[in-house]
Formats: sequence, C-alpha cells, structure tokens
Amino acid sequence: MDTLGYLGQGFGVALTPYNLVTALCGTLIGTVVGLLPGLGPINGVALLIPIAFALGLPPESALILLAAVYLGCEYGGRISSILLNIPGEASTVMTTLDGYPMARKGLAGVALSLSAWSSFIGAFIATCGMVLFAPLLAKWAIAFGPAEYFVLMVFAIVALGGMAGDRPLKTFIAALIGLFLSAVGIDANSGVYRFTGDSVHLADGIQFVVLVLGLFSISEILLLLEKTHHGHQAVKATGRMLFNFKEAASVFWVNIRCGLLGFFMGVLPGAGATLASAVAYMTEKRLAGASGTFGEGDKRGLAAPETAIGASCCGALVPMLTLGVPGSGTTAVMIGALTLYNITPGPLLFQQQPDIVWGLIASLFIANIMLVILNIPMVRLFTRILAVPNWALVPIIAIITAIGVYAVHATTFDLFLMIAIGIFGYILRKLDFPLSPLLLGFILGGLMEQNLRRALSISNGELHILWASPISMSVWALVALMLVLPLMRIWRKRSAQRRALANV
Amino acid sequence: MILQRCFALILLAVCITLAVMAWPYQAAFSYEPVGPRAYPLLMLGLMGLGLLYLAIRPTPIVRKDDEPELDRESLIKIGACVLLLLVFASTFESLGFILSSILIGIPMARLYGGRWLPSVAIISLMSIALYLLFDRTMDVPLPLGLLDVLEN
Repeated sequence: MDTLGYLGQGFGVALTPYNLVTALCGTLIGTVVGLLPGLGPINGVALLIPIAFALGLPPESALILLAAVYLGCEYGGRISSILLNIPGEASTVMTTLDGYPMARKGLAGVALSLSAWSSFIGAFIATCGMVLFAPLLAKWAIAFGPAEYFVLMVFAIVALGGMAGDRPLKTFIAALIGLFLSAVGIDANSGVYRFTGDSVHLADGIQFVVLVLGLFSISEILLLLEKTHHGHQAVKATGRMLFNFKEAASVFWVNIRCGLLGFFMGVLPGAGATLASAVAYMTEKRLAGASGTFGEGDKRGLAAPETAIGASCCGALVPMLTLGVPGSGTTAVMIGALTLYNITPGPLLFQQQPDIVWGLIASLFIANIMLVILNIPMVRLFTRILAVPNWALVPIIAIITAIGVYAVHATTFDLFLMIAIGIFGYILRKLDFPLSPLLLGFILGGLMEQNLRRALSISNGELHILWASPISMSVWALVALMLVLPLMRIWRKRSAQRRALANV
Repeated sequence: MILQRCFALILLAVCITLAVMAWPYQAAFSYEPVGPRAYPLLMLGLMGLGLLYLAIRPTPIVRKDDEPELDRESLIKIGACVLLLLVFASTFESLGFILSSILIGIPMARLYGGRWLPSVAIISLMSIALYLLFDRTMDVPLPLGLLDVLEN
C-alpha cells in the first residue's frame, strides 16, 4: 500500500516538535476566534494568512496552522451555541436545538464534551475517507483538461445555488459578483488593464485577504452595532464535565451514520457543513421516531449535527486538495493561502509535494485529538472568554483586521478598499444575499477564466470542446440537475401552498 | 421590497457601466481566440439578467428573530462607525498604528456601549500590546508615525 507509506511519511512531517507546536497554537487560536462573536472560520483563516507569511513559516507548517485554525474555529463555534444559544455561524444552528436545552438542564459540561467527541469521530471518519479516496480522485483528475476543469467549476458554482436552497437567485448573483471581481487587474494573457480606473493599486487585482476581511469582518462589525442593547447570559458550565461511557455508547451509531453522511456532503461542492448538519439532524430525528426527545435536549440531537459538521469540514478538503476546486468559503480561503506560497493545489500536488499533502492530512488527525483533549480542562477558561463584552471586543477586532490587511501590501489604499467592500458586504447581508458564494466565485473566477481561454485556444475558438469528452458531458448533466433542483423545490412549495389554500 | 428593487437597479446600472468600460478591452496582438473582454462581459451579462429578474420580482427577505428593525438611531450609529473606520484608514500611516488605533478605538468602544474609563484603559493598552506583538515579535511591519521620535 503506497497510501499507508505516504501517510506514515505525513505523520513524520506532522509530528516534528515544531509542527506540533504550530498545530497546538492553531487549535487554541482557532477555538478562541470561533468563540468570539463576529469572527468565524473564514475570518480566522484569512487573518492568519498574512501573519503566517510574515512569520516566515515553511509552507507545510503554514498549511498545518491554517488547517488547525479551521478545525479549532468550527470547534469554538459550538461553545457559544451550547452555552449561549447563539449559533456562531449557520452550520451550528442545529447544535443549538438540543445543545442549549441540555445545558439548561445542568448538563453543559457533558454537552460540550459529548459534542467534542462526536465531532472528533466525524472528523476521524472523514479523514479516513480522505486517506482512501483522495489519492484515487487525484489519479483520476489527471485526466482532466482545461475544458473539464471549466465545466467542473461551473458545477461548483451552480451547486452552491442548487444545494443551499432557499434563495438560489441571490446565491447566483453573489457568486457572479465574485466571479466578476476576480477579473479586476492586469490580464495575465494579454497585458490589458481591466477595470483598474488607472489606479496602480488595483493593477494587481483585488487582494483576496482584503476582500475576505472586508466582507466578513467589517460587515460583521457593522451588524454587531445593531445588537448592542442585547445582553446574553451564558449558562454556567458546572458539575460533571465529561460524558460517561453509557452516553457515548448511546450515540455511537448516530456518530457513524452522520460521519459518513457528513463526509459525502463535505466532498460535494456547495453543500458543506450547514446542509450536512441539517440533513443529519432531520434524518436522526426521523429514525428516532417517538423514542426521541429532540428539541428538548436529546443527546442524539446534539451528536448528529456535530458529527456531520466535523466530517464535512474534513471532507471539504478533498476536492480542494485533489482538484484544486474549493467547495466552501473556508476552503476557498485556504486555496488563496496556498497560492500565496506558490503552491497550486490539484492532482499534481500529490505527486510533486507529497510532504505537504500528507503532512496536512496527518496533522488533521493530530489537531482533532488535541481539540478533544483541550476541551475538557479548558472549557471554564473558554466560557470566561464568552463574557468579554462587545464594546471591548469590536474595536479590537477592527484593529486586528486592519493589521491583517496592512500586512499584505503595506498600503493604506487596501484599508480604504476593505472598508468599501465591508459596506457593500453589509448591504448585501441586510438584503439577505449569502456572502460565501461571492468569496468562492472570487477564488474560482481566475481559474475559470484561464481554463476557459485555454480550452478555447486548444480548439481554436470552437465551442464544442466544452462538451466533447464524456467527463465534461456528465458534469454538464449534473449542472443541469443542479439548475433544475431549486426550480423543482419552488414549484413544489407553490403547489403545496395552493393545496393548503384550497383546503381552507 | 422597495429597497431590494433599488439595490438591484443600482447594481444593474453599475453592471452596464462596467460593461461599457470593458467594451474597448482588446489585446494589441493576440495568439488566442478569446480576448480579455469575453469573460468579464459574460459575467456581467449573466449578473445583469439575474438583477433584472430580481428588480421585477424581488424575493421576500427572511428576518431572523434577534435582528431588530433598522431605525434612525442605528443608522446614525452605523454611519458613525463607518466614519471612524475611514478616519482610521486615513491616519494609519501619518499618525502611526498606536495613536490612530487609540484615536478611533475609544470612540468605537463608546459606540458599542462601553464606559469612558474602561474603554480608554483597554483600548490604549491593547493598541500598545498589539503593536509590540505584531511589529516586534511577529515581524509584521506597522507604521510608527508620530511616535517615530521615541525610536531614536
């Protein structure tokens, strides 16, 4: 087995003391960042990119740091959803449904450690899946030409709208804004300056750190301003901190089922943690039937979404590493980080830089174990962080965000651009546009244009190359399916409404 | 609804302006069939179609429970916050990191409901601490600005 050999090599990379410390710092920073309102995994990873670069970390350590922060953020997000009933982000909404009632019953410590355990199992299953499938997918992906890549990216964008569901049109528009923004700057093929308005600062394009921090941090700061008068009291985590064997055993099969489900949802572009946790929760609720007390603090209701989130986070790394096509906002940010290091993710990465890929996979195992161990003694400390009031937090977030942006190019132009993007992001959010498709579009846009132009250069301008091969044909079929899905859903909703009206 | 229509129409106008901007983008000489113009135009076109549909049939905005209605007061607050951020960006280099972050950090903390004394203390301390952390230990260069004199 080649794979096991490589994995061993990866553990060799990840277990060096330097990388272990990096992973530990990453998980700690990630957990704190995930805990704080207004900062999620996307901001956390984006903020650390310029810093990791400035620190001069070697690429594999930087990647390990970012992956650890990613997992840590997901992990920290659950603490606020269980103790405060405030989901840090969309994916943890399902966790609040049963996690908060459990905490109210005095089982806060158990809920936290059980969710950590579930998430660990989910991540473990997904990492195993990754070890099994990623090399296969990478081998298969070498057969992809520019035309196939282009179609695949179209699929990734369309899948966002098709899977995410309730507002497909707005998702598409957001993605298109991102796709368009990636075209700003000098065109690599012809040297034409596009949409720069003769500004030197835009010649290089919009820096993606500026875009991410503007969209997510600045707009969040403005959103938090509306909620200043809301005070939240955290449930005190007292009593038993660790779940017992019986509790773990009672959710074991839930963990396994939801782990597998989460992994597959994570691999699919566009689905991601939000959908995975929702589907997992609904499925388990139906399976439990009358025996469940879902919504009133059922352990299964807590374990199901947490396992799925843990699994889908790791699953999302599969398309990113093997195809170079990110499936979620956070992995899109990680692609941006890789390009800073001049690493192009994709099938060749597995052959040319196995150290990086397998080191990353191995460090996922390690970061997961660290998170479980950290959680138990440090929950009290983490809950204290939750008590930091907004007035102290927000200015500091603003200042750190500015540092992150300034670290990229050291120009104040980027700061102004970030504020402008932040206001735009705030307006988009107020109008119910989702923001992560915009980010994904921005990352995919450059790749998409290059692949489209390359494909059409091969065929000398004939469009039929885009659907010439069986691979691209089948991906087009999937694209069509994804386009039809939201229409079907809307149609079904409408007819249900009509029937309800007729019955009245 | 009305807001959404306005937004869609404004963005549509921006799209059209950008498309007009993109029209003359031609490579001086080129070895490939697709020039630098096609891709942005394609994106703008698709976006325009989407926006047009949105302007005609806006989708209802789902409000979350904890999201209060936007009133005059919070709009003023948001305006003030944006203004502070702009001041921050424009004084970042001239005043230096520490002074500019104290300058905007304290009013910002007040804006989010902090009291004077703790705001001043925490923001001043954090500004200096962050400067030391990033500039001195993590090698992220930050401008010293007016405090340059202390350096020598």
